[in-house]
Amino acid sequence: MAPGLSEIGVFLPYSPLHQLLLDALDGPVVATSGNISGEPVLTDNSEALHRMSDIADVFLQHDRPIVRPADDPVFRRIGRQLCPIRIGRGCAPRELTLPWRQSQPTLAVGGHMKGTVALSWDDRVVVSPHIGEMDSPRSLDVFAQVAADLQALYGVQAKRIVCDAHPGYTTHRWARTQGVPVIEAWHHEAHASAVAAEFPRDGEWLVFAWDGVGLGRDGTLWGGEAFLGRPGSWQRFASLRPFRLPGGDKAGREPWRSAAALHWECGTHWNATPDPDGLARAAWRQHVNCPSTSAAGRLFDAAAAIICDMPTASFEAQGPMVLEAMCRDSVEPMHLPLDARDDGILRSDWQPLLGVIADESLEPARRAELFHASMAGVVLDQALAARRQHAVTQVGLGGGVFQNRVLAERVIELLEDAGFEVYLPQTLPCNDAALSFGQAAEAAAREATS
Amino acid sequence: MEDDRISLAHGNGGRFMRELIEDVFATALSASELDVQADAVPIDLGDGEVMITTDGFTVQPLEFPGGNIGSLAIHGTTNDLAVAGARPMYLTLNAFIEEGFEVARLERIIGSLANAAVEAGVRISAGDTKVVRRGEGGGIYLATTGVGVRLPGVKPSLDRIEDGDIILVSGPVGDHGTAVMLAREEFGLRGDVVSDAGPVMALTEPLLAFEGLRFMRDPTRGGIASIGHEILKATGLGVRFEATVPVREPVQSVCDMLGYDPYYLACEGRVVAVVAPDQADAALETWRSIPTGKDAARIGRIVAAEKRVILETPLGGERFLEELEDDPLPRIC
Repeated sequence: MAPGLSEIGVFLPYSPLHQLLLDALDGPVVATSGNISGEPVLTDNSEALHRMSDIADVFLQHDRPIVRPADDPVFRRIGRQLCPIRIGRGCAPRELTLPWRQSQPTLAVGGHMKGTVALSWDDRVVVSPHIGEMDSPRSLDVFAQVAADLQALYGVQAKRIVCDAHPGYTTHRWARTQGVPVIEAWHHEAHASAVAAEFPRDGEWLVFAWDGVGLGRDGTLWGGEAFLGRPGSWQRFASLRPFRLPGGDKAGREPWRSAAALHWECGTHWNATPDPDGLARAAWRQHVNCPSTSAAGRLFDAAAAIICDMPTASFEAQGPMVLEAMCRDSVEPMHLPLDARDDGILRSDWQPLLGVIADESLEPARRAELFHASMAGVVLDQALAARRQHAVTQVGLGGGVFQNRVLAERVIELLEDAGFEVYLPQTLPCNDAALSFGQAAEAAAREATS
Repeated sequence: MEDDRISLAHGNGGRFMRELIEDVFATALSASELDVQADAVPIDLGDGEVMITTDGFTVQPLEFPGGNIGSLAIHGTTNDLAVAGARPMYLTLNAFIEEGFEVARLERIIGSLANAAVEAGVRISAGDTKVVRRGEGGGIYLATTGVGVRLPGVKPSLDRIEDGDIILVSGPVGDHGTAVMLAREEFGLRGDVVSDAGPVMALTEPLLAFEGLRFMRDPTRGGIASIGHEILKATGLGVRFEATVPVREPVQSVCDMLGYDPYYLACEGRVVAVVAPDQADAALETWRSIPTGKDAARIGRIVAAEKRVILETPLGGERFLEELEDDPLPRIC
């Protein structure tokens, strides 16, 4: 179970059925959700029988229909707090208060992964339970049902929709068909707003939005960004050196692509590249389906692929989770250059780190530790640069990369030692599940300041 | 003709142009008995209902494994007539040639075009050539207009499609788009990826005998996913592709490596047919008994309750096949 990881998720028996099961058995029970991978949990008996018949041997069913499905929530301790990884039964729908009032009820439809919906009116926001990845028709059906249900439950009819700016997201397409005005929010600015609005504070924020990929304002894929400002008014202050991702979306489940791309970018070669015909390399050289990205998540993928020898992943972030679990000691970071490009945005260059993570004379665990420490150092360096130019003291951490405890704890320690106040989301996950809330905050803040 | 490259004089209406037409076009197209002197020619269409279509060809590169722009200019237009239920009979040809184009290459392309016309059973009855200045064209562009007569049997059309109908494809998808892309990007030729470009009349004509035939289309630009959206848009009925869409292994492996989806890639010698459920198996068997249809497969069904185009995945999952927006493979036909 959970090979390569040093922790597992557990829950205590919370229903009479669990109690009976555990009484009858002589030890803990391994459980999983009743869903097709990535899709929302199945709630209808006949549909479960039909679609799970190849997966489950036996079905235990109940004659009471499920009206509002909710997965079990998942939490992880990071630093001093318990951070939600997924919100669900017992903690969602979750209501939060915004520091702005808005004139019209708004439906915020979230991103493409870890979908949630948020309904906001006046200064209130209600965030739905976890829905699922938005690729499948069933996810969209459940999503539409949850959106309708939230509005019925609170007696509030949304008069506008806010969605991610990425035109290929299922939620973006859906928003465009609803017959009400649509506002777009940029992916990482919504992440920044989610952190800032969860901790309403006066003054300017510096928020790091580190995740897999999302569409950025320049049409490239962002994901290693630092923003200055406040909801409704963010300035991209710093980022990571971009690189081209061969095969686009394929890179999510095939970390070797990120690893090979970093090498190619530096003019070196990675021996473990599973590209016997050199096709991916040729496509990379000729910019064929190789979008440029500054995503921190893809750097973690690359490091995991190189250090752990994991060319492919069977679930999202598998490599980075294994890499994190290898870390034991706190080591001195390698300092990475931080320079402004022509556009005035500071960029940290990961190139010196590539030599270290690819250095097979070093223990894999040591390389993993050096990688985490150095990436935490990037956050500190960028924060110090921001403070030199702007009177910023409060720093937010958003985006799924900060679910990495080794990274997040090191970042928090470094920033606090340097005198910053650090905010890591604790009401909502820091991952894409918070996008709907961040979008709602963006829409409300824009209206309040316009 | 004496020159080995096309000059602007080959388009000026004088001797050079006459020689180009006589030596290259008329020679290659002798089987069509092309009358290069006449301004207009009569064509004999018998008593049938006349059908007409037109298409332009700008593919890059001009030559690729399995064909070139010349053969494509025949298959593209004659196949459009075939899937509409017609037998193609006559074609007109327009060639826009860029100054400096190699005559030997032109002869190769027009030679392929002539062979493809013979194979498709059509005559090139009228034509025109223009020469554009260097830098103003991609070597050569072709345009063909096809005329044919409707064959007896059903009149396939989108509005015949009904809930529960079955979707068939005559062979593996994505070969043409993949072969052209590999050639265009000079990724190194792979002997195992060859365009499927070819005539489809042998596939379409026998299906017209099936009362239950609803609709046929050749999945060119945008692949089978775009046919799904075309059906959805025209009929309001959902389209569900099953995990049985045939994709040849080398095509799939190139797509996997480059991050492309074969369901969006063009074919130039395949047919997608929508058939009533009670005749789908018989139609499939008919195709499988034909050499170009030996790998035909049932690939989906029409589901009225769903207003979407869905792909079922092998592990029991489903995903949307969204309408193509940003063409990842421009100028492939």
